[in-house]
This record gives sequence, C-alpha cells and structure tokens, in this order.
Amino acid sequence: MADDRNQAPEALDRFIDTLLEGERPAPDGVVGEEAPMARLAAELAAAGDPTRGVPDPAFVEQLRLRMRDADAGIASVQGWTLPVGAQLHRIRLTRRDLLRVGLGAAAGLAAGAGAISVLRPPPRAPLSGNERPLVRDGEWVAVATLADLPEGAAVRFSTVAFDGYVVNDAGTIRALSSVCTHMGCTLSYRPQWRDLRCPCHGASFNLSGELANGSEGRSSGSGYRGDAQAYPIDLPPLVRPEVKVSGETVLVWTAKA
Amino acid sequence: MATAEDSRVRFEAIYDEHVTLIHRFIYARVGNRPDAEDLTGQVFMRAVEQLDIDRPAPQISAWLYRVAQNAVADYWRAFYRLPQIGAEQVAGAWEPVMPQPDPHADADADRASTAVRRLLARLPEQYARVLELRFLHRLSVAETAGQMGISHGNAKVLQYRALRKAALLVETDG
Repeated sequence: MADDRNQAPEALDRFIDTLLEGERPAPDGVVGEEAPMARLAAELAAAGDPTRGVPDPAFVEQLRLRMRDADAGIASVQGWTLPVGAQLHRIRLTRRDLLRVGLGAAAGLAAGAGAISVLRPPPRAPLSGNERPLVRDGEWVAVATLADLPEGAAVRFSTVAFDGYVVNDAGTIRALSSVCTHMGCTLSYRPQWRDLRCPCHGASFNLSGELANGSEGRSSGSGYRGDAQAYPIDLPPLVRPEVKVSGETVLVWTAKA
Repeated sequence: MATAEDSRVRFEAIYDEHVTLIHRFIYARVGNRPDAEDLTGQVFMRAVEQLDIDRPAPQISAWLYRVAQNAVADYWRAFYRLPQIGAEQVAGAWEPVMPQPDPHADADADRASTAVRRLLARLPEQYARVLELRFLHRLSVAETAGQMGISHGNAKVLQYRALRKAALLVETDG
C-alpha cells in the first residue's frame, strides 16, 4: 500500500470532494491516468444522485429566455421581448436541498431560501374572481374515496391535464392545484401545518388555496409570524378545479386528454 | 407558411420536450450541475441557430443527442485531455433510452443503476464497497472509513485503487 500513498493523489481527491458537494470541480492537476478515474468518478457521482439529474426549473426557464433573446437577435423578429420582470437571477441549489426534498420534488425545486428578494415572478394574468379554471370540454375523474380523506387529510392526484390535491378542510372536500403560483414548483402537503408548502421559496398555501404566509398571514397570528421563509410577495391563490362527491367517490372536473 | 411565432412555439415545444432529457444525458457524464447546465445551454443555444425544426421528430432528437454527446466529449478532452471514448457502460445508466424517451421511465430508482451495479460487481469486494459508500451513498471519506472499519488514510487509498481498477475495466471494455 505504501506506493499508493506516495502518489499523493490530492488533485483527484479534491476533484471527488468537490463533485460530491455538487459543485463544479476544477480540472487542475487531474492528469494522466487520473483523468479517466475522474471521469468515472463523475459518472458514479451522477449515478448516486437521487435527483437523477433532473434540471433545476430556474435553469430551464433562464435558458428559455436566453434562447428567445438569441433568436430575436438572429431573426430580428418583433414582439419577442422578454416579459417585464422575467429576469431570473441565478440561484444555486445545494446538493443538500436536492437530497432533502428528494427525487419526486426535485423537478419542482428552483432555489434555496433567502433568495426570494431577487426573484420576480413573470407577470401573469390575474385569475378571475372565480378561481376555477373554465374547462369546457372536461370530464369528471375519480381521484379518491372519502375513506382516504378524514378531516385534515390530503390526497395527491394526477389526471392527464392536472396535478393537484384533494383535501378535507373541516368537512369540506376541495381540490387544489399542486403547482405553486410563483414559479410552478410542486407543493407538498404538511399535515401538521395544514398547508401546501413550496420547496422552492417557501410559499405556503392554506387549504382554501390562498397564500398563508404572505404579509397578511404573517401579521395575523396564523402561526407563520416566526417563519424564516415567510413570503414577501403576494401570490395568486391556487387553481381550484370543481370537485364533487358521488357516493364514496371524490371526483374532479378536469380537461380531457 | 409558418410565421415566426409558429416557429417559436414549435421550437419551445422541442425545448420543453428535450431539455430534461438532454440535461440528464449530460449530467450523467459530467456528474455536476454547473457543468451540466453550461453544456445543456450550449446544446440549445446551438439549436437556436442551427437546428432545422421542420425535420421529423426522431431526427431532431438525434441531432440534439449528437450535439450533447460532442459537447461532453469536448469537455473531457479540453479539461482532462481525454480521448473520446464512450464510458457508456456507466454513464447513462438511468437516463431514458433514445429514440423514444419516456420522462417517467426513471420512476424505478433501482433499475436505474443496473450498469453501475454491473461494474461494481466486477470489482474486488472492498473496492466495490468503497465506491458504493462514497458515490452511491455519498458518505464522506471519514464515514466510509468508519463503515468499513479501516483508517481514514486507508479509505482514501482504497478509493483511489478502486477507481483506478474500475476505470481500467471501463476503458478496456470501451
């Protein structure tokens, strides 16, 4: 073993440590027979990543804007300007963020906490007074049974056109979109808080679908006052598709495939 | 006659359909997000200029994967002076297979790392163990040493030897 120790493979060790921290390794000093080892280490690190390399949604949107910009430049096409406020600041996810939230929610992750002041959501049309999406050509889809939904429970469902939760809010069955109205990250239900929480920037929506930890929620003693990730901007409520109970079955009105 | 708006919509549909797949393809080969994002950006910025979006879908997919493959090869060549060989036995273990990528195909996390498991199975037990603990379980060197009941220094040496042996296996196969 002595001969190996004398090789002092510090550059490769550094490469691996950086890699496993989720950061960009510097190639310095990784040469010769260590180069293929570094490449293999990179591949193994990727294979061991529970997020499976799903891209950061903030990156996906930023690249989309860059491409629009470039395309507008190439073709001199009018009417392609960036939406006002759509400039996304780059925010890095730590590996810990990704691991904590795990595979399922990774697709919905955009950024860590504390970054929110620099993020402005793209402008969106305000939802109409009635928040229900106007699905004309829809159908009722069974998504849960009443037995799944004791008071305070939430059941995740997914139809061809819609991802959401059905919840039992003090006896009222309601369907709520699971998509955060800020940047489209996927919300998780937290039974102890009775809210749908966004992993990206910490927005919480109550079981009526309204932002619960915005400025109003924080001052009203709703429990979010000490919330380190309280939400500084007002977000539209979650989309609430129509829901009905037929016998024991909970059905949601959703667009057809 | 397609308008500019039509092309934009069409292009963005292609982008939406492929960005996750291409990112994962690249990530599987560079192992870190900053580089994977840079290379993914290169692929699609190049697509803005060069991709003929009127081609049939399979050709478009093939074009994007080819550009991604080249970007990865350039990356390893430029920074690490590695010749272009495909260590494909390992990378791509869990990414969807062309040309019919299914974005939901990764639901089964275990099946995903078949290729990695196969590689590890060909290594001496201690080598496989150290790589598994370090890379698949993502333990630190100290934690790995603790798990294996060896010293910190020995864990480092073992990791080094295991990687060298595994890289050799991959290379001779490639």
